[in-house]
Amino acid sequence: MASTETSTTSTTNDFSGGKPAPESGYVVPSRPPPNLFFLDFGLRLLLFAAAVSALVVMVTSKQTKLIPIIVAPSLQSFVVRDAKFQYSPAFIYLVAALSVTCLYSIITMLVSLFAIASPSPSPRMLFLLILFDTLMAGVMASATGNAGSVAYIGLKGNSHVNWNKICNVYGKFCRHVGSSAAVSLVASIVLVLLVVLSSYSLYRRCR
Amino acid sequence: MESAVKQGVNGGVRHGTGDEGKTQAGAGFSAGILRLLVVAMTLVAALVMATASETQMVSIVVAPTLPPLPVPVTAKATYSSAFVYFIVANAIAFAYSACSLAVVVLKRGSRRGSILPISILDAVMVGLLFSGNGAAAAFGVLGRYGNSHVGWTKVCNVFGRFCEQATASIVVSLIASVNLLALVILSMVGLHRRSSA
Repeated sequence: MASTETSTTSTTNDFSGGKPAPESGYVVPSRPPPNLFFLDFGLRLLLFAAAVSALVVMVTSKQTKLIPIIVAPSLQSFVVRDAKFQYSPAFIYLVAALSVTCLYSIITMLVSLFAIASPSPSPRMLFLLILFDTLMAGVMASATGNAGSVAYIGLKGNSHVNWNKICNVYGKFCRHVGSSAAVSLVASIVLVLLVVLSSYSLYRRCR
Repeated sequence: MESAVKQGVNGGVRHGTGDEGKTQAGAGFSAGILRLLVVAMTLVAALVMATASETQMVSIVVAPTLPPLPVPVTAKATYSSAFVYFIVANAIAFAYSACSLAVVVLKRGSRRGSILPISILDAVMVGLLFSGNGAAAAFGVLGRYGNSHVGWTKVCNVFGRFCEQATASIVVSLIASVNLLALVILSMVGLHRRSSA
């Protein structure tokens, strides 16, 4: 199943990879519109993988450290401080967006499988997919920007408003958050690619 | 776009009914209005954010025995990388939507118009603008509420006007990006209508 799927995906990829100018679809109207749902399914699988891994990495980012504080010049004490993603509303937003994207990608993978199975997928389904893909792309892009912005302040700090960087203290937390933001960026790019693919497919269908 | 869609329906192989052509033209007209709104709003958002600057005298206690020393402190958008990204994203979206508005208006007479490249670039711009908004909004929330867990104090109690300008700019840019999203959906509605009818 997997091998045939990848081979078909690659052939579909080749077909749309050498994508000619959009006018060629108009010049040769007799050719039936290609079923790009194999590529669609592959992208949705990638989206699911990216969303799940970003979610897991973000949720497991908790780190507890002993922070030395100087109580008196001769006396040093330690306090236990932990860093969790729940401490920042931006990261909570990212986790929520990633969860929604996970669920959405599972549902649309089933839709995509159904479209592969059916001989000629309806343009209505393509249209609905584009609608929700665009919405999800907006949500994921804003969540990625959100988390990326906070993670950047955590990495570099901001001297103008006296916000200290925390990544020198919480190394593991920072690595987890940074990787999660990077993988969410991949997920939002995949969503934009899905919009592009579906609109190309819809465009090929219209006379 | 309005005439391009009209041409595609009425002047193409198929002849649509007059009613259909009217709704297509209406959709094209509203798409043009939306695009114009995006142009104006991204420009306003970028300008408001870029010109937001406020200087306040902040009293700093140098030593317990000395009186507090007033020090001028300036807040500018360029001090924060998130706001710089926001300005750049809005400027790019402004340049793109102005160009696409020109293309849409100039290519009214062509057969199929340039729906596909424009809606693809629209989708990319949706991503760019939303991520810029998210970045600036995260920074704004930090500035307004602070984060006690990592000791980032809020700054909006000091720089009130700067914070209000930044908030207004983010809200305007958010409306612009929702408009851009509506544009993508609207052009897909047009394509869907033509492909299924």
